[in-house]
Amino acid sequence: MAMLEVRHLKKIYTARFGGSRVEALRNVCFSVEKGEYTAIMGESGSGKTTLLNILAALDKPTAGEVILEGRDVTKIPERELAQFRRSRLGFVFQEFNLLDTFSLRDNIFLPLVLAGTPYREMERRLSGLAERLGIDELLNKYPYEVSGGQKQRAAVARAVITEPELLLADEPTGALDSRSSDSLLELFGVLNDCGQTILMVTHSVKAASQARRVLFIKDGEVFHQLYRGKDRPEQFFGKISDTLTMIASGGGRYA
Amino acid sequence: MRRGLLFYPKMAAANIQKNGRMYLPYILTCVVTAAMYLMISALAENPGLSQVLGSDTVSYTLGLASGVTALFAAVFLFYTNSFLLKRRKKEFALYNILGMEKRHLCRVLFCETVDVAFITLAAGLLAGFLLNRLLFLLILKILGVQGPLSAVVPGRAVFNTCVLFLVIFLFIFLNSVRQISFKSPAELMREERAGEREPKTRRLLALLGLLLLGAGYYMAVTIKNPVAAVAMFFAAVLLVILGTYCLFTAGSIALLKLLRRKKGYYYQSNHFVSVSGMLYRMKQNAVGLANICVLSTMVLVMLSSCFCLYGGIKDIIALRHPRQIMISAGEPADGEEAIIHERADALLSENGLTASEPLSYHYLSFAAVKRENSLELGSTESIMDMNRLAQVYVLTLEDYNRVTGEDASLKDGEILLWEKGGIPSSVTLSGREYAVKDEAEDILEEIGISFGGAENLLAVVKDEAVLNEWDSLQAAAYGENASARSYVYGFDTDAGPEKEQSLREALYHSLAANPTDGGAGLSLTVECRADGELSSKSLFGGLFFIGIFLGLLFVMATVLIIYYKQISEGYEDKERYEILKKVGMSGREVRRSIHSQILTVFFLPLLGAVLHTAFAFPFVTRVLTAFGMTNVRLFAACTAGTIGVFALFYLLVYRLTARAYYRIVR
Repeated sequence: MAMLEVRHLKKIYTARFGGSRVEALRNVCFSVEKGEYTAIMGESGSGKTTLLNILAALDKPTAGEVILEGRDVTKIPERELAQFRRSRLGFVFQEFNLLDTFSLRDNIFLPLVLAGTPYREMERRLSGLAERLGIDELLNKYPYEVSGGQKQRAAVARAVITEPELLLADEPTGALDSRSSDSLLELFGVLNDCGQTILMVTHSVKAASQARRVLFIKDGEVFHQLYRGKDRPEQFFGKISDTLTMIASGGGRYA
Repeated sequence: MRRGLLFYPKMAAANIQKNGRMYLPYILTCVVTAAMYLMISALAENPGLSQVLGSDTVSYTLGLASGVTALFAAVFLFYTNSFLLKRRKKEFALYNILGMEKRHLCRVLFCETVDVAFITLAAGLLAGFLLNRLLFLLILKILGVQGPLSAVVPGRAVFNTCVLFLVIFLFIFLNSVRQISFKSPAELMREERAGEREPKTRRLLALLGLLLLGAGYYMAVTIKNPVAAVAMFFAAVLLVILGTYCLFTAGSIALLKLLRRKKGYYYQSNHFVSVSGMLYRMKQNAVGLANICVLSTMVLVMLSSCFCLYGGIKDIIALRHPRQIMISAGEPADGEEAIIHERADALLSENGLTASEPLSYHYLSFAAVKRENSLELGSTESIMDMNRLAQVYVLTLEDYNRVTGEDASLKDGEILLWEKGGIPSSVTLSGREYAVKDEAEDILEEIGISFGGAENLLAVVKDEAVLNEWDSLQAAAYGENASARSYVYGFDTDAGPEKEQSLREALYHSLAANPTDGGAGLSLTVECRADGELSSKSLFGGLFFIGIFLGLLFVMATVLIIYYKQISEGYEDKERYEILKKVGMSGREVRRSIHSQILTVFFLPLLGAVLHTAFAFPFVTRVLTAFGMTNVRLFAACTAGTIGVFALFYLLVYRLTARAYYRIVR
């Protein structure tokens, strides 16, 4: 059975006084298997961010369900939500979202502290992870003292230190230069090889070409999907580009 | 390039509007501060003030209070403005990059400052006028009396306010220019986040703060003499205020860093976010907290002593007027005592009254510096001497025995002595040694010649010859400033207050008027308790009024600072809490963490204020004795009550502003 199942997701934004209605998601269905590395692509306004917010339980859909490990995320009561988010999901954001008030170490510890993990256990989890992410030298620095790439690595550490079932990434390379992007994507690949399930929303063809599968969203629906299969990323890159061109030129639909 | 004449003013106005969210609390702060200063200044310049107490003490103190308020206004406005400026540096950098020169920026800044100054003065003066009216109405209603003070705002107060605030704004403008013109756009861009760096621990400053505070506390606790206490009061207050500022700025950071090092404490969900949050903004926070602490202390000390004085009026009157009628004559001539008694008896029987509880005695009083077991006459120079200054009251054995009803006896060279904290075995006065035969009863308050004011000593000498001898000794030592011997005669009657007052007038006429008018032509004073009650009530009513007025004003300032802090920090924290929520903090956890943070930040100053008040307690007790208030228990009760009510009020303000804060970050 799939680890994550998204069924007939629909989201309509209504202006406050019942004015205009905007349909951000019309009918989104897809599923993600355990250990998969999936990218979601689409133009601005295609509903990518809305989708991710709903998957992250930050927003409620108008209709449809999101089943994570057999549980409907959209029906989790408000008071359990935060706990659910921090124990089952990991987040990597475009803007890093690290807190300037904390050193990198404390930023990474944040979800564990919120969960009430003992200090020794936090240290144990961090020691291996920091080395793997190449930030063990930087742990005592503050976010404003390190580069964007280093910040994003710390953000990844924060996302995976809780050992989440699903890692959600929202344009993770969006604010990075190309070298930092490459090394971050490489890192995602390594995490995925270790069994981490990853769902990434991105604009970047290069980022998407690292994934095993790419879903294309257009006008609030899954329009198309590509599997990488045995392709090398460079080859996959070309296929993705072609697909995007086709979507942009309004070509026919085949899925 | 030529621009229209109104280009910069328009741009300035637009800037203020655009940054309304930040500017509104700032302008509000300016307006309220201006209104506050106007009110204090108006009170200090109030023409009715000289009637209160009939001396310059009150207006001097109020002048000082308005000086402190001016200083406070300057510090506070600078602090709020620097905060504002920091947040706008990016905006200025952008203008700079987009092609405005530094001098154009300065022009915009100038126009903005003029706008704010104009709004501040216009709204501040108006608000000051109205609030002044309101406060007067309110307090007079509470007191239920029509005091000598009325709600006028003298032109001089308006002038002072305008000058002060224009000067403050000028300096604020110059400071902004300094901050902007010497930096490149890139530096300015970076600087918006620069303040968010973790503050360094400044050990030296923390140590200095501890020392200053310690010195202030030490003075408050060790200076026993009321004369010295009054003289050193402001020095001690200054030390404590400076110490508070140093400690809050440096000490709080040191404390928070210590907390952070304790892993078991720090890595708990409710401490984690709050400790780091506080540490992060302590630099800007500390001044605000120190302000709150100092203001709260002022409110507490002022209100508690005022309530105490007002509540202790009865005690004070009883001390000043041990009998209904008190006649005291300085340097009585031979036979003068007999005339006083005769005329008093005659007047009483004329009015169908009889004297009861008669009290009569001669006494001599002079100041002396007390060492081990000698009394030194002469002028005092050092503060240490001032701390040893004692007022010596001398009675003859005959008078003493009559007043106390005892039957003590003395040989040549022997005296009875009373002083606080036990008596020595002998006393030397100008080289002559007197053996202290026994401890005298403490009758000074009972017979109404002293009600505190200095460390008192009562000496009972063998007879009039010794009294005369002591008199000539002090007369020789003090020359022109020597004090005179006095004769006191007091008695009670069963007359009501009005009859008592007319009796006093008749007595005074009969004794002091010229012989041609049927008087005895003596130089003396006649006091009655009914008059004393009236004048005390008006004096203490006036003081009480001023105390409450200033107290309410300072409370207002405290609320303002608290509110400003909450609002400005709310906007700052909004982003942080959004991130925290995304990472998996629930609404409840957010609220709990906010609670824990605000609670610590808020109750630190209150704690500091209570501590200050506790240390000020012995000090203020001594100052109060100068007003004739010696009831320490009453003062303790007033202080405890004031602290309790203030803490409740503080809690209320905290809850209201915490809600405002929460609404912003949610």
